[in-house]
Amino acid sequence: MSVAAQIDDVSFAHSSVDAPALAHVSLSLPAGGIVALLGPSGAGKTTLLTLLDGRLRDWRGRVSVLGGSLDPDYPPPRALRPDTGFVFQEFALVERSTVLRNVFNGRLGRMSPLRAFLGSPTERDIQVARSALDDCGISDLADRRVDSLSGGQRQRVAIARCLAQEPRLILADEPVSNLDPTRAAEILTLLTEAARARGATVLFSSHQPELARRFAQRIVGMRDGRIAFDVPVSDLSEDAAADLYRDAAQMSGTGLKVVT
Amino acid sequence: MRSRGFGSFISAVVIAGVVLWSFVTTDVEMTRLAAAGPRIAEFLGRMFPPDPSVMDEIVRGSAETLRIAVIGTLGAILLSVPLGLLASGTMAPPAIHRPVRTVLAVIRAIPLILVAMLMVGAVGLGPLPGIIAVAFHATGMLAKFYAEAIDGVSPAPLAALESAGAGPLARLRHAIWPQMAPVVARDTIFRFELNLRESLILGIVGAGGIGFYIQTYVRSFQYDKAASATLAVVVMVVAIEAFNVILRRRFS
Ligand SMILES: Nc1ncnc2c1ncn2[C@@H]1O[C@H](COP(=O)(O)OP(=O)(O)OP(=O)(O)O)[C@@H](O)[C@H]1O
Ligand SMILES: [Mg+2]
Repeated sequence: MSVAAQIDDVSFAHSSVDAPALAHVSLSLPAGGIVALLGPSGAGKTTLLTLLDGRLRDWRGRVSVLGGSLDPDYPPPRALRPDTGFVFQEFALVERSTVLRNVFNGRLGRMSPLRAFLGSPTERDIQVARSALDDCGISDLADRRVDSLSGGQRQRVAIARCLAQEPRLILADEPVSNLDPTRAAEILTLLTEAARARGATVLFSSHQPELARRFAQRIVGMRDGRIAFDVPVSDLSEDAAADLYRDAAQMSGTGLKVVT
Repeated sequence: MRSRGFGSFISAVVIAGVVLWSFVTTDVEMTRLAAAGPRIAEFLGRMFPPDPSVMDEIVRGSAETLRIAVIGTLGAILLSVPLGLLASGTMAPPAIHRPVRTVLAVIRAIPLILVAMLMVGAVGLGPLPGIIAVAFHATGMLAKFYAEAIDGVSPAPLAALESAGAGPLARLRHAIWPQMAPVVARDTIFRFELNLRESLILGIVGAGGIGFYIQTYVRSFQYDKAASATLAVVVMVVAIEAFNVILRRRFS
């Protein structure tokens, strides 16, 4: 399989909102590749990633992910869901549970329903969770409760949970927006290295063109629910990236998160 | 601005009128109040020393009050789990959760002692009407608290578990319950404390517990025995508070 995901002419609008969050979007993700998604706030990045994760309803168009096509009316079968891993913009961790519990949560889709309910992992679950913790450099935090962690540590837990899922496609929604520049580069390094080691495809969204340039092979620019450009890193001009944000700032007044 | 100033003027006049009306129409003889000082002193004097000979009855009455509160709270929990689900905005549609919430508000509005009186009439004297009254009365509050605990669960971790392929039961167990548990524990303990305090007086209407003994002693002018029973009540309330503090610390 040379394509991890394929989107053809997909449109979508949130209910009670007139402006579409996705407008005639087409995109293909090469298997094993690392692609960055740039775009200002409200561009539709989270919506696009949620679509690929099979959690969006009532869209129009065609989408296939890891060889199976998605149905706009039904969630994908549960057996296939662990294959696509999602790193949430606001982490979406269970605050009162320990780091280890949260990482095991990523394994729930791989366990039998009874084991999942009881929360009793097998040897293999434990091994996979341990190596995810290890790769994210948080083995020593395993027994800490999430509500006692810093933002950077939470980000690592969120990524470890995703890796524990053993996904073949990793969708990471602004995995470094909450971090200082050094920490951001560290996190993207571990995310992309872990993905490479596992042969997984990565699509990550970001507001930082220089990080996209450094870690991705291809960069997709989004604005107002449309694909503004879709180019290899070497072809991305400074102006194209800057325009993406400048235009949006003038039009919607939402302002910029990070442009350096 | 003008109309608001006028509004508060009207409120002040109404409040002053009500207070004045209460004084004028109540049969309070100020002369009796003045003479009451020595009588109250004498009354208090007859309470001392408290009579320890009624220890047995007091322990038995206190134990019965405790049993009423424990079983009544358990009953309230059993009623509140399904009603809490039905009253929650995330689990039930408006057509269901709105009327259920209204019913709970009405239940909350009926004082416990009134429910107890009705229950004594319905099932006779003893702890049973007390238990039923406590369970019924406490459900009005507890079911509302449970519904709020369910509605307070953050949806983000749920979406994360759905994304990972966890089934509904696993989501309930690993994303919803960990968020709800401390709130449910805290609210249940809080309600148990209220139940225990409120059921201390249930005996007065014949619904069992220590209140029955206090009332009997007072009616038969055995103030020293009443004092012992009152002391027992104070000890229980302080003990509940201490117990509650410990539990709250554990569940934070
Ligand atoms: N739950 C929702 N209900 C209604 N509208 C929504 C909802 N979620 C997103 N939108 C709208 O859809 C559009 C796309 O939002 P999306 O979250 O995909 O943007 P984004 O690119 O991820 O932005 P950000 O960088 O701020 O995360 C926005 O106009 C947003 O207001
Ligand atoms: Mg977003």
